[in-house]
Amino acid sequence: MRSGGFRLGWDKGIILLLVLLIVFGGMSDNLFLSGDNINFIIGDVSEVMLIAFAMALLIIVKEIDLSVASNLTLSSAVIGITWHGTNSMWLAVIAGLLTGSTCGLINGLLVTRLGLSSLAVTIGTLALYRGLCYVLLGDTPVADYPTEWTDLGYQPIPGTFLPWVVVPMVVAGLAFWYVLHGTRLGRWLFAIGQGDEAAVFSGIPLKRVKLSLFVLTGFMCGLAGLAYTIRFASSSPDGALGFELLVIAAVLFGGVAIAGGVGTIWGVVAAVLIWGFSRSYLQLAGWDANALVIVSGLLLLVSVAVPRVLSKIRDAAAHRTSRPSSRGGVTPPPGGEAEPLSPAVAGHDQGSHRG
Amino acid sequence: MMTKLLRVRELPILVALLILLLLTGILNPAFRTGDGLTAILIESALIGFLAVGQTNLIIMRHIDLSVSSTAGLVSFLVGSYSMNHGGVTGGVALLIAIGVGATVGIVNGALVAYLGLPSLVVTIATLYIVRGIFNYLAAGITVTADQLPPYFSWIGSGEVLGVPDLFVFAAAAAAIMTLVLRYTRWGRDLYAIGSNPPAARRVGIPVAHREFGAFVLNGSIAGVAGLMLLSRFSFADATAGLGIELYVVAACVIGGVAIAGGVGTPAGALIGAVLLQTIAFALGALGVSQFWQQAVAGALLVAAIAFDRIVAMRSTHRAMRLVEVPV
Repeated sequence: MRSGGFRLGWDKGIILLLVLLIVFGGMSDNLFLSGDNINFIIGDVSEVMLIAFAMALLIIVKEIDLSVASNLTLSSAVIGITWHGTNSMWLAVIAGLLTGSTCGLINGLLVTRLGLSSLAVTIGTLALYRGLCYVLLGDTPVADYPTEWTDLGYQPIPGTFLPWVVVPMVVAGLAFWYVLHGTRLGRWLFAIGQGDEAAVFSGIPLKRVKLSLFVLTGFMCGLAGLAYTIRFASSSPDGALGFELLVIAAVLFGGVAIAGGVGTIWGVVAAVLIWGFSRSYLQLAGWDANALVIVSGLLLLVSVAVPRVLSKIRDAAAHRTSRPSSRGGVTPPPGGEAEPLSPAVAGHDQGSHRG
Repeated sequence: MMTKLLRVRELPILVALLILLLLTGILNPAFRTGDGLTAILIESALIGFLAVGQTNLIIMRHIDLSVSSTAGLVSFLVGSYSMNHGGVTGGVALLIAIGVGATVGIVNGALVAYLGLPSLVVTIATLYIVRGIFNYLAAGITVTADQLPPYFSWIGSGEVLGVPDLFVFAAAAAAIMTLVLRYTRWGRDLYAIGSNPPAARRVGIPVAHREFGAFVLNGSIAGVAGLMLLSRFSFADATAGLGIELYVVAACVIGGVAIAGGVGTPAGALIGAVLLQTIAFALGALGVSQFWQQAVAGALLVAAIAFDRIVAMRSTHRAMRLVEVPV
C-alpha cells in the first residue's frame, strides 16, 4: 500500500498456499484428490470450520471464547440424553442447538454485563460446561443413535462425493461472509475491533453486538456438536478435548489479527482447509501423527511472526519510528496506546494483514 | 494496620479456604484425620508451583500456556534417561529440567518480548510444538517406577513435619517469589509494567528484558515441575501433564492475580491452587458424586472472577465518593 506496487496480503497468500497444496498433493498421490478422501477431509474439518466462522468474528471484536470445545461436547451430551428421554431425534437436535446458544449467552452476559475479561470467563466456563457433560452422561457415552441419522455422517449426498455436513458449512460460510463483508453490522465489527471507545461514541451498540456474537458462537458450537454426534455416532463426556486451541490457531492462521479489527472469512476457510488437507496428505504419506501437531504449531507461529518481521523491516527501511495506532485491549486501555492489555492482545501488525 | 490487613487481596480467598476446610471437617469425620489434608496438599503442589511462575507473567498481562507440554516433556526425558542408563542422578535430572524448560522459555520470551508477538498465540503454538515433539519421542514408551531411582518416590511421598515434600517445595517457591516481587527492583518493575506499560517504558524500565526474563524463569519452573510430576506419579508416558495449563491459570485467577495485570502475588496463586483442590476433595468428602465435581469447580471459578470484579467496582465507587466529599 505505502510502497505501491503488488503486495500479497496474508489472506490471499494462504489461499495461494491452499491451491499449491492441493495441486502438489494431487500430483504426488493419486488417492489425495479422490472423492472418498475429499469426503473424509470435509467431515474431518467440519466442526473446526463451523466454530471458526464465529470465533473469527469474536476475535475481530477483541474477545475470545475458550469454552467452545466444552460447549460442543455439552451440546452433544444434551442431544444424547434428549434422544434417550424422548426417542425423538428432532427434539434432541433442537435441545442441542438451544444448549449451545444458552452457553454462549452465559459467556456473553458475564463479559458484557460485568465487564469481565472474556479470556478469564471462558476459562471458567470451559471447566463448568465440561463438568456438566460428566454430570449428564456420567461415564457411559450415548452410542445408540438411529442409523438413518448416523448414516448422514459419512454417506455422500446422492450424486456427489460430498458429505451432508457440507450443507451447513456452505450455508454458514456464505452467511458469515455476507454479514462480515457486506453489511453494516460487519463494518461495526471492524470498527469495534479498531477501538472500543470510538465505536461507542459513533453510536454502535457495543454491548449488544458483543452479546449477540457470544450467543452466535454458542449456536455454532451447538451445530458443531450435532455434526460431531452424527459423525462419531456417539456422545461422550471427554470428546473434542483441546479443540478450542485448534479453532483459535486456525482463525489466527487465517489472517484474523489477535489484536482485533482485521480478518476475512475466506482467509479462515482457507486456513481450515489447509489444516485438513495437509493433515490428510501427511497421513497418506505415512507421516507420524505428531508431525502434524508440530507443523500446526509452526504454522501458527509463522502466521504471526512473519507479518511482524516484515513490518519491522519495512519500518526500518522507511527510517520511521513506528506509527501510533489505536490498538486497544479487551478492557478499556488506561494508557490508550498500542500496548498489550491482556495476554490475548498484543502487538500484531494490522496493515500487513489487510492486504 | 487492621484496615490494611483487611484490604489484602488474598484474605477473602484464605477465609473461604478455611471455612471450606472447617465445614468439610465437621460434616465428614474421616476428613479430620489429616489424611484428607495431606492428599489436598500433594495434589495442589504441582499446580501451585506452576502458578508461581505464571503469576509473574499474568502480572505483566501475559500468559504462558505451554507449561503443561514443557513439564510433560521433562518428566518423560528424565524418565527415559533413567530407563536407558539404569538411573539418573539428581544433578543430571535438574540439568535436563532447567535446560529444556529454559529453552522453551527463551523461545517464548524472545518472540513475545523482542518481536512483540501476543503471548497467547505464541504459547499456544509452542504448546503444540513441544507436545508434538514429546508425543513423537514418547510414542508407545512408558517409564515405570522400577526404572526410576528410588529418590523420586521418596520425594513424592515424603513429608516434613506432616506436610508433603512437594507442597513444602511449592510453598517455599511461592514465598520466595512473593518476597522478590515485593522487595526487589525486578519485582516492582513487573507490577509497574502490568499497571501501565507505556508509563513503565517512559520511566525507563527495560520492559522487554523484564518480559523475557519472566518467560525464561517460567519455562525453568515448568521444567522443574516436570520433575515433581515424575516423583508424584513415578510414571511417565505421552499423556503426562496434558491439559493442566488452564488449571494453572485458574489457580492464579482464583488466588487474586487479575488477568488485566498489575496485581496479585504468587502466594495468593498457591492458595488459589489449594482452594481448587480443596473444593474437589470437599465435594467428594461430602458425598457429592464425582461427576459433579468439575462442574462445581467451574461454577466456583466463574463466581470467583465475577465476585472479584464486583468488589473492585464497589471499591472504585467508594473511592470516587470519597473524592467528591470535599467539593
